[in-house]
Amino acid sequence: MMGQVILGVGDYGASSQLGEEVKTYALGSCVSVIFLDPKTRTVGMVHVALPDSSINKNKAQEKPGYFADTGIPALLQTMSRYGCDKRGKGLVVKLCGGANVMDTNDTFMIGKRNALAIKKILWSYGMGAVSEDLGGNFSRTVSISVETGQVTLSSPGRPNWLL
Amino acid sequence: MNKISKEELQKIVGSIPLLSASASQLLQLTAKPDHELMDVISLVKTDANLTARVLKVVNSAAFALISSVSSIDRAISYLGERIVVSIAIGDCAGKLFEKELAGYEAAGGDLWKHDLRTAIAAREVVVQSSAEISSDLAFTAGLLHDIGKALISDYLQDSAPEAIGLITSQDSKDYLEAEEQIVGFDHTQAGYELAKAWQLPEELTEVIRYHHNPAEAAEAHRELVYAVHLGDNIAMMGGFGTGSDSMQYRLDANYSDYFNLSPKTLANIMLTVDMEFEKLGYSLGNTEGAE
Repeated sequence: MMGQVILGVGDYGASSQLGEEVKTYALGSCVSVIFLDPKTRTVGMVHVALPDSSINKNKAQEKPGYFADTGIPALLQTMSRYGCDKRGKGLVVKLCGGANVMDTNDTFMIGKRNALAIKKILWSYGMGAVSEDLGGNFSRTVSISVETGQVTLSSPGRPNWLL
Repeated sequence: MNKISKEELQKIVGSIPLLSASASQLLQLTAKPDHELMDVISLVKTDANLTARVLKVVNSAAFALISSVSSIDRAISYLGERIVVSIAIGDCAGKLFEKELAGYEAAGGDLWKHDLRTAIAAREVVVQSSAEISSDLAFTAGLLHDIGKALISDYLQDSAPEAIGLITSQDSKDYLEAEEQIVGFDHTQAGYELAKAWQLPEELTEVIRYHHNPAEAAEAHRELVYAVHLGDNIAMMGGFGTGSDSMQYRLDANYSDYFNLSPKTLANIMLTVDMEFEKLGYSLGNTEGAE
């Protein structure tokens, strides 16, 4: 059995262990930010639930990955321990998740607000996603192979696809 | 795919064990607007198994009490009626909630997790928007809203790609319509039949029947149905659906006639749902907490 780093809601983590995969289950309106470092062959991911940590500073301290504004710096810091650039230079960025229910109104567009907040923070680092699979109205499970950097998405009742 | 006939649906409903007398009375009692906590306590005391379970939960690590609680009166006042109701339902219908939903490609336990998240979210919608309906009743209704999925899931086996196809091609407006097109009944119709067999109070049967189409619910219960409608959507957005149907339903934005939700309030609700679920999930012993 392949080693797995399983990330729950608000978790972040990285691996450079060949043969391992980094995985998160059932992103609804949550968004996964994926960083791939070709130089150190490190894979990192954060499972962001909400755009802005100002609603609950305690939660942000306890689980920085929960919010876009605290999750991205936390993931970068973790990845720097693997030898990656602290400001994210050279990292390949991929984004997925951020689904919305059908006929959603503005209030319930948390998926969209998450994606926007994440992109804004990435811009502040001079980073942008090379590929993204955002929105729609279905949940996504994501797994990343450390060895190949391949990002596989799945959703019940649909064939798997690559990001 | 074989469609379920009316007779077959009645047979399926008939094969599901009835609720225990105490669970059934508890649901009747707590649906009444003027009931007292004392009434809940007296009722629980008539059931020795339920009493033991309530004491076990209150003394579980999740509640981290300094000294153990041995009086059932204190345990119920501490936990609140919604948790007592969850324990009662879990005790007599746990198998149904833990069932693997093969027709939705969902694992065993996913239905219970979804229902618990919906319950917490429906309650939070009521609390955080200062609505006047009972937040505890919204919780109970959330727990029971999707019970019909356990009834029709086996008949939906291998139908998920077809259901998704029907929605994508706009031949079905949502997963509910797809279910009806594929097996002849949707999960709200099936759940409604079980609710009648269980003699649930009208408040709860309306939620089970109309949680995806709250505008069609009887006016007297519509606010409660909208609360669960929102709770259900919030649970799915948080990554706790029941498999292939997750997020494949339509939001009825007319909830705003009853609940005033800003984006910030909604974010707060989602956060509270995550935190409460972790606590309740562990203490009720039916889930492994958030993934």
